[in-house]
Amino acid sequence: MGFLENRFDDNVVVEKLDKLLSWARSTSPWFFQFGTACCAIEMMAAAASRHDLMRIGIIPRSSPRQADVMIVAGTVTMKMALRVKKLYEQMADPKYVVAMGSCATSGGPYWQHGYHVLKGVDLVIPVDVYVPGCPPRPEALIEGLLKLQEQILEGRPLTRKTG
Amino acid sequence: MSEDLQALIDEAVKKALAGDDDAINGIQDRVTRSKAKAALVKAKREQSKAVDENSDSESIEEQPTTDNSEYIILKIAKILEDKFSGCIDGEVHSDFIQLKPEKWFEISKFLKEDPDTYFDSLQCNTGFDLGDGLLESRYNLHSMKHLHSIEIRIKVNIDNPDIPSVESVWRVADWFERETYDMFGINFTGHRDLRRILLPEDWDGWPLRKDYEEQETYHGIVVPKVKEGWE
Repeated sequence: MGFLENRFDDNVVVEKLDKLLSWARSTSPWFFQFGTACCAIEMMAAAASRHDLMRIGIIPRSSPRQADVMIVAGTVTMKMALRVKKLYEQMADPKYVVAMGSCATSGGPYWQHGYHVLKGVDLVIPVDVYVPGCPPRPEALIEGLLKLQEQILEGRPLTRKTG
Repeated sequence: MSEDLQALIDEAVKKALAGDDDAINGIQDRVTRSKAKAALVKAKREQSKAVDENSDSESIEEQPTTDNSEYIILKIAKILEDKFSGCIDGEVHSDFIQLKPEKWFEISKFLKEDPDTYFDSLQCNTGFDLGDGLLESRYNLHSMKHLHSIEIRIKVNIDNPDIPSVESVWRVADWFERETYDMFGINFTGHRDLRRILLPEDWDGWPLRKDYEEQETYHGIVVPKVKEGWE
């Protein structure tokens, strides 16, 4: 800390604003609760008391305008893809997307013959973390969300990007 | 427990079952009395169970069953042939009735209202692509009154897939016909609200037909056609 070291009283923390912002964002990524298929059951289980997402600062919100993270839990059909895109556009920045389960990452079991299924939600919206599994257990989803938190923590929202 | 006590309990329970309420209360020893009461409860439960089993076996025998035998199908095919001559398509089959599409609406009304047939419920309607340019719609009819059921099949050409709608005869056919239309493109003439039911309104093609080709893009979303890493 250089010349600032030991100059302040107790309970005062000195840190870059940049890092503080990303720390605050990473410790409360509220997710937008909507499920498109069976993965939603595992997402609900992850948010319920046994796995308790709230202990890592993640709580469900019912409106896209109050949410930071969109967990795409389940098969996205072509009909739903347009709605998913619209919901993503309604979320306020900064926003992140977790693609949960094989359907949301690649189309999964509908890869070959599912004429109506979107082959991966990354064809419509940008995805930050992919969670594999059919469906993934709540532990896997929590692993993915912890990875997302690391990713947010590394981000520097105020620093100008070079290169 | 000694044999004397057991004999005492057995006798008391036998008397209590026969209607003597004081037989068990008359036992002096507290522990023996409570054991006798427990034995009485057990004996009563076994008695009522035996009664239940007897009544169950009787009621199963009386269960009515639906008749969908060859006899019913041939009988109804004959009624239809008499009433609407030339309505049967091809020969008479033993497990379904193949009809021509032209008079299907009048026939369905007759089947529902005639006291001999009285098919008051349409259980299912679905579509088939038979290949060779033929589509088929199948109807499973059931009569609650007569407890008989039949299957009706109607074949149409894929170039002109018109079948009269029975939506105004059996209301349940509304969504069945919309689904068949959605998946096979069978045009149910006279349906009051014939729209796609599952797929979006602007979908291209009829997905369950054998010659269906997936569209290249849907609202700008690319549909990947290369299926690498499969099989």
